[in-house]
Amino acid sequence: MKVSHRSWAVAAVIAVLFTLPWWSGDLYKVHLAALICTYWVLISGLNLVVGYSGQLSIGHVGLLAIGAYSFAILAGTHGMHPAVAIAASGALCALCGLLLGLPSLRLPGFYFAMATLAFALIVTEITLAQGNLTGGGVGLPVPGFPPPFDTPRGSYWLILAIASVVTWLTWNVARHTWGRGLVAVRDSVVTAQAVGVPVFRAKLTVFVFSGFTAGIAGALFAVLQSYITPDTFVFDLGLFFFVCIIIGGRGHILGPAIGTIVLTALPEMVAPLAKLGNFFYGLLLLVVVLLVPEGIGRVFQLLLERFRPRRGESHVVKPDLERLSRAIHAGRAIK
Amino acid sequence: MSLAARDVTKRFGGLTALSRVSLDVMPGEVHGLIGPNGSGKTTLLNLLSGYYRPDEGAIQMAQQDLSSATVQQRANLGIARTFQKPRLLPTLSVLDNAMIGGWRDARAGFLATAFMLPRASFDERELRNRAEEFLHGVGLSHAISRRANLLEHAEQRFLEIARALTQRPQFMLLDEPAGGLTPAEIEYLGGVIRVIAESGVGVLLVEHHTDFVFRISDRVTTLDVGAVIKHGTPDQVKRDPEVVRVYLGA
Repeated sequence: MKVSHRSWAVAAVIAVLFTLPWWSGDLYKVHLAALICTYWVLISGLNLVVGYSGQLSIGHVGLLAIGAYSFAILAGTHGMHPAVAIAASGALCALCGLLLGLPSLRLPGFYFAMATLAFALIVTEITLAQGNLTGGGVGLPVPGFPPPFDTPRGSYWLILAIASVVTWLTWNVARHTWGRGLVAVRDSVVTAQAVGVPVFRAKLTVFVFSGFTAGIAGALFAVLQSYITPDTFVFDLGLFFFVCIIIGGRGHILGPAIGTIVLTALPEMVAPLAKLGNFFYGLLLLVVVLLVPEGIGRVFQLLLERFRPRRGESHVVKPDLERLSRAIHAGRAIK
Repeated sequence: MSLAARDVTKRFGGLTALSRVSLDVMPGEVHGLIGPNGSGKTTLLNLLSGYYRPDEGAIQMAQQDLSSATVQQRANLGIARTFQKPRLLPTLSVLDNAMIGGWRDARAGFLATAFMLPRASFDERELRNRAEEFLHGVGLSHAISRRANLLEHAEQRFLEIARALTQRPQFMLLDEPAGGLTPAEIEYLGGVIRVIAESGVGVLLVEHHTDFVFRISDRVTTLDVGAVIKHGTPDQVKRDPEVVRVYLGA
């Protein structure tokens, strides 16, 4: 029953998102929705790093920039097919994730955050310095998607499809043994070790994966911007990705998704907020951290639990030794 | 086939926490480890489970040298443990907390899980069934879908045991499992530990409740200031004048 409820909810959300270009009214909103989906491609991968394994990366904007520039260079300068260029951007950023993660993921929390910050700053400097490749401060034009994705609606649907696939992938990881292992790495390294989770390898694996999604997101982002310069990838953007996850709640997927939508859309839709962009982020972050430190995702969980029938809140432990004995014997029979 | 410490010495700076201590845990026995505070019980347990490396001597399992094996490698070889202060994952459900013990049996890698290949669903079903059986077995049927941060102390202790059992261990190291339990709960705990040992698992029981240890152990080792002062059956240890003097009292 529970599973079919969830399937219906997922189907409804997909239907609403798919039909968005027809009911949203104007093309600007379609563009905004495409931008949100693009951010989400990056954030859902980053969520496994920040929200699940608890590694505080604030420098993913650097990976976004690398993905965007490699798409612009491969598809624009070298005329590679956009589909291949998107995949190549993802692969390149996965490699960058590996090279960044190998030395830095052994550092404790705060120092790891500083390493990712340094990485983002270095990427900006390189894009400025390597003028022949990146156009320096002048920037690079970015080619669009090929037909039928060359219209605002077409590109929205393409990006929505990619975002859906990435969401599905991270959902699968989060909901299974891997997700539990990551939460163990976040909440109790000692427990993770005790059950055999290879802590460093687990962190590195999701970090490389988040590099891949950041690269894909970078390519899509470049197309939406149609022209990129180093100023497109300000450090605030990296902080923004991080804040979406913290506001959404660590260890959730729906929460950070809502965080991404709210933080991207609200300043655009409500005119007075546009001027107060950073003030608005700061205020929202303060409210969440003070009132619901576990984030929006936890609020939703608590609301859902309200509607579930409550069983008696017993705390009495009463072992069933026969059943225990059978279970242990069954376990020992496995080779 | 035993899990053994052979003449291990462990120093922390100038302090010798253990000096030339030997102990072996046989499959199917409950081996009690007692001694005053600071006598080195938990240090020995940390050496056996791999959180510390011995300065001298060796840790062996079935004649294989484990002295430099990581905690994870030992977990994969079948050594499970619980902690003095329960270490659960507070935001996950009781079932998820038990299922994490099945990490070593989950064969699906990261990509296989991400793409939900058949292996991943198979692992998930297997581990769920196994963890549920253990949770019913240790007496947590009422709390399976509860968030672990809502558990009371005794429930946390039994959940740690269920998590360790989900690892399908050959040896289980219990660090003061009776701490903070009521007499009735200690009774249940004794039953659970006996069943675990009778199924062929070797249990090392570090504990301060000496009556409890003498009642359920097959053999008992007593430590004092980092050295073994007596080793034998519960009756032998109970009557040993040295043990009475340093630990049990007259």
